[in-house]
Amino acid sequence: MLNRRKFLKVSGVCGAGLALPGGAMAGALHVDDPLRAYPSREWEEQYRKELAATRGDSEGFAFHCSNCQGNCAWRTGAQGGMIVREEQLAQYPQINPDIPDANPRGCNKGIIHSQAMYEKDRLLYPLKRAGKRGEGKWERVTWDRALEEIAAKVVEVIQKHGPGGLMIHAGTGILSQGKRAGPLRLGSLLGAIRLYPSSAVGDMFTGASVAYGVPNVGHSLDAWFEMDYILLWGINPSVTRIPDAHYLWEGRYRGARIVTIAPDYNPTSIHADMWVPVNPGTDSLLAMSLVNAAFEDKLYKEDFIKEQTDLPFLVRKDTGLLLRESDLRKDGSGDVFYFWDKKTNSLAEAPGSKGSKRDTLRLGGADPALEGTFTAQTRNGKVQVTTVFELARREAAKFSPEDTAERTGVPPAMARRIAREFAAAKKAGLTIGFSLHKYAWGILACWAQALFCALTGHAADTGGLDTESQWSLGGIGPLSNPKPARFASGFLSEWIAGGMDDSLKKHYGDKEFKARAGLDADALIKLSRESREKKWLAHYGEPKARIIFADNFFRRNKSAKNFKDTVLAATELLVAVNFRMDTSAESADYALPSFAHYEGWDIRGEVGYHRFANLVVPPPGLRPVGEAKSEWEICRLLAEKIEAAAKAGGVAKIPDPEFSVTVDGAQTAVTRDMDTLGADFTMGGRIATDKDVTRWLVENDPAFQPWKFEDAAARGFITLNREAGLTSPLYASKPYHSFEEQVYLRRPYPTLSGRQQFYVDHPLFLKLGAAVPTAREPLHPSRFPLKFYSPHTRWGIHSTWRTNKYMLRMQRGEPHVLLNASDAAKRGVSDGARIRVFNDVGEFFALAKIGAGVRPGSLVMEHAWEPHQFKGRAGLNSVVAGLLSPLELAGGWGHLKFGPEWDGNQLALESSVEVALAQASAGDT
Amino acid sequence: MSKRQLAMVIDLNKCLGCQTCTMACKTQWTNRSGRDYMYWNNVETAPGKGYPKMWMESGGGFDAEGALNAGRIPSLENDYGAPFDLNFESALGMAGAAEQGNRPWLRPAQNPAYGPNWDEDEGAGEYPNSYYFYLPRLCNHCSNPACVKACPRKAIYKREEDGIVLVDQSRCRGYQHCVAACPYKKVFFNPALGRSEKCIFCYPRVEQGTAPACARQCPGRVRFVGYLDDENGPVARLVNKHKVALRLREDFGTQPNVYYVPPLSPPKYDARGEITDEPRIPLEYLVKLFGPSVPHVLETLRTEMEKKKTGQSSELMDILIAYRHEEMFTLGAPAERQKT
Repeated sequence: MLNRRKFLKVSGVCGAGLALPGGAMAGALHVDDPLRAYPSREWEEQYRKELAATRGDSEGFAFHCSNCQGNCAWRTGAQGGMIVREEQLAQYPQINPDIPDANPRGCNKGIIHSQAMYEKDRLLYPLKRAGKRGEGKWERVTWDRALEEIAAKVVEVIQKHGPGGLMIHAGTGILSQGKRAGPLRLGSLLGAIRLYPSSAVGDMFTGASVAYGVPNVGHSLDAWFEMDYILLWGINPSVTRIPDAHYLWEGRYRGARIVTIAPDYNPTSIHADMWVPVNPGTDSLLAMSLVNAAFEDKLYKEDFIKEQTDLPFLVRKDTGLLLRESDLRKDGSGDVFYFWDKKTNSLAEAPGSKGSKRDTLRLGGADPALEGTFTAQTRNGKVQVTTVFELARREAAKFSPEDTAERTGVPPAMARRIAREFAAAKKAGLTIGFSLHKYAWGILACWAQALFCALTGHAADTGGLDTESQWSLGGIGPLSNPKPARFASGFLSEWIAGGMDDSLKKHYGDKEFKARAGLDADALIKLSRESREKKWLAHYGEPKARIIFADNFFRRNKSAKNFKDTVLAATELLVAVNFRMDTSAESADYALPSFAHYEGWDIRGEVGYHRFANLVVPPPGLRPVGEAKSEWEICRLLAEKIEAAAKAGGVAKIPDPEFSVTVDGAQTAVTRDMDTLGADFTMGGRIATDKDVTRWLVENDPAFQPWKFEDAAARGFITLNREAGLTSPLYASKPYHSFEEQVYLRRPYPTLSGRQQFYVDHPLFLKLGAAVPTAREPLHPSRFPLKFYSPHTRWGIHSTWRTNKYMLRMQRGEPHVLLNASDAAKRGVSDGARIRVFNDVGEFFALAKIGAGVRPGSLVMEHAWEPHQFKGRAGLNSVVAGLLSPLELAGGWGHLKFGPEWDGNQLALESSVEVALAQASAGDT
Repeated sequence: MSKRQLAMVIDLNKCLGCQTCTMACKTQWTNRSGRDYMYWNNVETAPGKGYPKMWMESGGGFDAEGALNAGRIPSLENDYGAPFDLNFESALGMAGAAEQGNRPWLRPAQNPAYGPNWDEDEGAGEYPNSYYFYLPRLCNHCSNPACVKACPRKAIYKREEDGIVLVDQSRCRGYQHCVAACPYKKVFFNPALGRSEKCIFCYPRVEQGTAPACARQCPGRVRFVGYLDDENGPVARLVNKHKVALRLREDFGTQPNVYYVPPLSPPKYDARGEITDEPRIPLEYLVKLFGPSVPHVLETLRTEMEKKKTGQSSELMDILIAYRHEEMFTLGAPAERQKT
């Protein structure tokens, strides 16, 4: 045996600590054989005491209200009034012995919030800007003073510009019903502008809206376990759905075949049965190739598409418009449509459409023709008509797997194989992520995916398209929306506010863009104006005062520098309410500290990944962090101050004729009651605190019944009841799937046709050649060689926790980009090098990391680094141009009317860049 | 030998690489008291340098004759990575410290040279035949622990009731022979306390009937914990009955009690871009890590998956699926434990 001294090669772990304590060997215990027995084990108490200390002396429940939608139940422990640690509750009941339970929901971010909530970026006191905006000079002020000054400005702005001069916006940093109630209620009472958050962040599934009338469709994620075939397309659940991903890999053990489609070999692909590498942004082409294969290889299910889709509907060959009752009769409806009944060999009215008197999809004895050209007698003579099926098949014929292979990078045999396997599977699901709709043609990709699912007959409990299932939480309106607010398009409002037309012209102002998009940049900008003027999408102008809750808009928006400069120049008052100093709070006039996740009462239940509504119950005796307050209390105090300021200025009730409400059956103009705002906000004093809000929600939401507030608070979560389902019941022991009512009860879909819709004769869709699902090439300018995309990271929920030291220590400490080794070598870039990423929009600096799974020709940067983590505070959106998807500017047609089910996306993933080694300068390294 | 041996099985086919285990361990034990740099539990991307850097080439363990091999003590800065803080005060200016014009950006106060997850998701192979998998690691609570053998004070021992290996914190003098001797580099020197520390298999939790933090808190549900002599427990069934759970680098000679279900991988593409039926992780690499029975185990997994798919029963798949989270851990009730 070697001498112990010889094998010990000290290589420098804290050299000083190595000094051997003198006389250490003295008084040594006699240990015979430490593998058998050890004589002295009293010391083991040490770690037992540590365990007790991490549990604390009081316990609470929590979830994180962040925009991961994970919604996981945790137990929090506090010691001496401070949270010490959290651990997953892991108490969800198993709904069915044949399906794995949902425990222990949670992830690497939630688990360190006990540390993050006391970090040095925590806002402790109300701060008022003491230097220029964004300079980083602050004066600590009292809540009273801050709110009085803000209230005075709010009253001034409303007097001068009307309620639309004010924006009160709750961003995606607070997505719980409890935390959102305050800002939503205050903004609604005042008639302030609020943006549609899902649209502003690019999370609208517009392709699903077109097809189904609702963007959020699909299944609870435990349904993955029961699938036979799972297509994961542009989604990376091992990273972005950490609490639910186990259902995939357990489903694979049960017998599912899992196929992932993504440009990079990612943490989800590593466990898949097959990974399909695809060129970034070519998803609509690949989706149309699957549609093509479904048509050409006759994989379609006729019975299903005849009844559940508009594919048999007739289209006029002369105008390209759907054949309507108004074509046939003078007083006919524009919302009644026809198919050709093979039984009677004549036109037949399709039941179930928006204008139909029959509220069902049942065809009776009719047999709709899918193929053929027919003659219809209209009031202006005979016209030739054909079916949507014919037109869709003809369009799909342009995109055979062989034709698209070069552009998508997917071998034709593989596309055909996916189509075949998907069609043949008993239960086949196609889950897409939020990335697809951050490309201009995401809407087309998703619409084509919906068509593929429809053709292959997958819907409800046999699978189909899964975007993001959401529960129906009724009954919240009286709390969060007592009066109409100025609910504005998210993506369009921010695109206009930030002057993003500038970067659109710069980055996409050439012929290449026109050839691919079907219109040039100027025409697209003109279209955005038309959309606004025709009120296809809602836009209420630029607010003078912005009170923003938990929205990191200066981090999130594209063409970032221009956005920030433009918005700041137009804004007289900018208030950021947040628990930490994020990049947006940094440029505010006032930064107000709110509770973080564990500190106030709260409840969240809208996320359809699972069926549990979680509560936050702060541990008894928990001390507030600094002077942080709940969102509800901040809004309540602000409401009181606004009322006082209004009264002092002689302002009482401000008429707001843009809106009316129905009171006792009569239309009544809305007034903004400044003189009673305080009492109106609290429902006459009934709801004063965040605990009152949580209690109100438990008592008033039908999906939470029969749970009593006290019982829910003692358990930490509520199991949602049957009512939570939107288009299907939520059964107690089965995963949820959308559209069981449509598929089995034959109730119409919320679309113009009453069916899954694959023909849109909106003038814009017709003009752009997209009346049926089609595909377009991605819009990355070829002037810059690398396609830049920024998928979600496992190290933050957007920018929340992105600057946490525990998260950063698991990375490289600073923002990094990922390159393929071949692209790096061409540019002399090695792992760890500091590089400049640039294009004609802007530039930023980051570290380079080489990844074997990165597709050559692309540059990947996990998203949502705070701009203040970059040199010069220029974040990754410095190089992302403000692109618009022209089809998402449509509106005013059928079910494509602006509202929660129809708004477009702020696009994020379609810019091109070049990289180069950065010139080192002082302070860089 | 201890009377009983607790063991852990980690299913690499379910691991998400999310590091929730790493963070669970961090807030449970190592975010204080000189342990900040330590990751008693880490998850590394394999192939890769690992944590600490190049641990697999750092010596330690036993040679063929059972003698200790020479081992290296990793460097804090370059092999573990120093646990940096951020320059919040100067970057954000909330404390009034910022001056106009030269405000630094938010970044580590000390530039890191390495870290516990430095080569995350980098992997190997030529695109599109890129490959990697996640390898969670903790102290193996070995049956023939090199650390115990190396300690000149006999201050490291195996608990007779559960085989957990502990460094006696009242007797350790920080000589670090154990740090060098452990071939997995899972003993750490605590510079603040002047003694060595490591994963304690969360014995204070185990004594209360609660699984170790890394296992109970794993959202991927990849870790099973139980006694090897508990024939009905999932651990014994995976290790002894179905023989699909393998030791990492068994050739180091320490007889680890953490076992791994080796990873399957999606098929490679050929030169024409057509799919093949060859797994993308090279078999020889897996054999190096998990031993010669890897091909057999992968075949067993594929066979049992096919059985389950075609409606036949498969006890192995049912265990790995883990229908009930709490049944992944068979620790016995606390009262029952006290009797043993």
